[in-house]
Amino acid sequence: MTRAGLDPSDIRPPDPTASRAAAEASSTDGKPGQLPLAGRPGVDDKPGLGRVQSGTRVVAVTGAAGFLGCNLIGSLEEDDRIARVVALDVSPASTAGRKTRLYDVDLTHPTAESRIAEIFTAERVDTIAHLAFLASPTHASAWAHELESVGTMHVTIAARHAQVRKFVLWSQTSLYGAHPSNPNFLTEKHPLRAPKSEPYFGDKIEAEEQARKLLLRSPSAIVTILRTAPILGPTVHNAVTRYLAHKLVPTAMGYDPLVQFLHEVDAIAALHLAVLRDVRGTFNVVGDGVLPLSTVIKLAGRVAVPIPHPIAETIAALGWVAQLVDVPPSFLKYLRFMCVADGQRAREAMGFRPAYTSREALLDFISAQRLRDVKLLSETPA
Amino acid sequence: MSDKKRRSEPRTGSPSSEADASERLLQAEGADMPQRTRSRRRRRKSVAPPETGPRSALKHPVATAGDADIAARIRELEERLDRMISEHAREHEAEADGERPAPMAPTGPSALPVTTTPAEPAGVLGAGGDLVAPDFYVRKWGRLGLRSRSEEVDEFGYDPVYEEKVLPVFEFLYEKYFRVQTHRIERIPSDGRCLLVANHSGTLPLDGIMLRLAVRNAHPRHRNLRWLVEDAIFHFPFLGSFANRLGAVRACQENAERLLDHDALVAVFPEGMKGIGKLFRDRYKLQRFGRGGFVKLLLRTRTPVVPVAIVGGEEASPTIARVEYLSRAFGLSFLPFTPTFPFLGPLGLLPAPTKWKIYFGDPIHFESHGVEAADDEVLVGRLAERVRGEIQTMLNHALAERRSVWLG
Repeated sequence: MTRAGLDPSDIRPPDPTASRAAAEASSTDGKPGQLPLAGRPGVDDKPGLGRVQSGTRVVAVTGAAGFLGCNLIGSLEEDDRIARVVALDVSPASTAGRKTRLYDVDLTHPTAESRIAEIFTAERVDTIAHLAFLASPTHASAWAHELESVGTMHVTIAARHAQVRKFVLWSQTSLYGAHPSNPNFLTEKHPLRAPKSEPYFGDKIEAEEQARKLLLRSPSAIVTILRTAPILGPTVHNAVTRYLAHKLVPTAMGYDPLVQFLHEVDAIAALHLAVLRDVRGTFNVVGDGVLPLSTVIKLAGRVAVPIPHPIAETIAALGWVAQLVDVPPSFLKYLRFMCVADGQRAREAMGFRPAYTSREALLDFISAQRLRDVKLLSETPA
Repeated sequence: MSDKKRRSEPRTGSPSSEADASERLLQAEGADMPQRTRSRRRRRKSVAPPETGPRSALKHPVATAGDADIAARIRELEERLDRMISEHAREHEAEADGERPAPMAPTGPSALPVTTTPAEPAGVLGAGGDLVAPDFYVRKWGRLGLRSRSEEVDEFGYDPVYEEKVLPVFEFLYEKYFRVQTHRIERIPSDGRCLLVANHSGTLPLDGIMLRLAVRNAHPRHRNLRWLVEDAIFHFPFLGSFANRLGAVRACQENAERLLDHDALVAVFPEGMKGIGKLFRDRYKLQRFGRGGFVKLLLRTRTPVVPVAIVGGEEASPTIARVEYLSRAFGLSFLPFTPTFPFLGPLGLLPAPTKWKIYFGDPIHFESHGVEAADDEVLVGRLAERVRGEIQTMLNHALAERRSVWLG
């Protein structure tokens, strides 16, 4: 098993003993959680300090208690180049360590904007990783809109106020939409054609527009948008893992689209890489290889239930209105048509190489799901 | 509010759960854990990853102690899992015992009433209990389903294992039914990118797969031909995904460009649906060649083109009439009427056993025009017309030579 596809010069192998040593070494240097070490003379000038380099970067993470936020903080905690992590969410991130400062910020609150701007200025944040997005659709669409679309607006305006240097946004390849006219590999140039009438997609597309607006207003800012393929892995929970967790998995009769996945470790590594490297623009972050949906279901040990799609759409529409199903009918398109993205650009411009292929990500998810099936692996108590 | 959020993106990294994998996955040693479990649990050749122990030990000499520790934990977890699975199976049998007495019961021990000894440790009886558990069949079903397909397809969806399974049918069509003959197939270059441009025919367009088989069987290098199919076929239920597993690719500029960039051999039928739907009286009269997209492709990717004339396909399933107004309901652009279809139902789609001949022309090179020429619509139109004329001439010659539709 190769480690995450990162240049070792960028991210140290997160070796627990080494990180502990590093943490001890740096804590002897200065008071933890205080101003960045590089602010003091003499520390930064010595290149011979070994692996312990004092960082100057201050990274703010929104949606810090979510899956990606939580793990990104854990990964940043171990990175010496990062001096501090500012975690913003309504609940604390469980991985928060010595470097992390937690702020209880609700992005749906009307005064969030000024509050965030204050925090950014006070903490001298230079990079924002905006990850406060829902990983699966919700019936509370008004709240989701406030969080995703309006929340991103709050964050981008606050970023402009605080003159934050860099803005990293988490987006998804599903925003390209599943269309019969999609090519096998969608590049970043393709328009986002997911149905905007569906709040789950519409809000995220609006969030991307907000990020572009930020670039327009302050052209010196570095805006990086990472569009991840559906994330699978042993611990992540989202719409796809929920779909594959059912014993009987509905499919569209007669259709067998190709799908692709991204392993959770790769997703976090890509975000980490985007925080470290100053790359502008939009990137598809995907695992290598594609799988037919039917193979995915067979590998997962599930039974596919093919339903003619007009019937499935009717059932899904009724079920969604009655709040009996978790997934709106617009998602059924993804069971019929391809929505596969090309990760070439992230590979070349960002240097991101996924460690897991789509199939390996799926198998890794399945091995954990098997344990969940027999109740051996309990869910995290919420 | 916050509650909802947490539910949709649950937090991980709680210290209590056994396989708190997110944290461990981020560590080098932890990444091995799911892999190893998998290689033991799933006995599939391609799955088993190389043993990573020594390598990771080399990388992190300090980590070996932790490795052994994790290995021990895995073993313990697996034992627990085995125990739980067998218990689970026994419970299910207890439930099912009344309704269906031993549904399969192929072996002696499995037929034994296991329920009488609930405290029995998992042994022969436990294995028998497996046969009664529904999960067992689900897993078996998954395995059986996967037997006729590979776990991995190539990036355009071609599945060699699946093709191997269905190939005999098409080989029969190729060898015995249509008795396909190729002429000058060596004109296809033995390597490098190349585009075959052919005439299109047939209610059920078999010419793509026949061309693929021709190149595979008769060409000295047995090249792997990918052919592009129009949306109406590619998104037709069952047919589309079936063709996709056999190597068909949805026809669009991006896909074709990507294939040619990989130096593939690609076939296109620029007539598209107009070619499939042409009436019997118009047979072998080439229709409009799309909008010249294939010429733009050739110019952009600097690809030579080989014109191909396929004779025999038109008579295999002659379209007598085309009904357009009803077919919208089926999501088709037209509904073809042949002497047998739709009167004989799906059976009517069977093609007639005509003699097929495939003629290959000399490669035409457009490279001298340069890449920018792709934007010159006049030139593109002219070049498309030239290729079309070439194929039409080949068709006319072939038809003049042909003595019988059935015998060639």
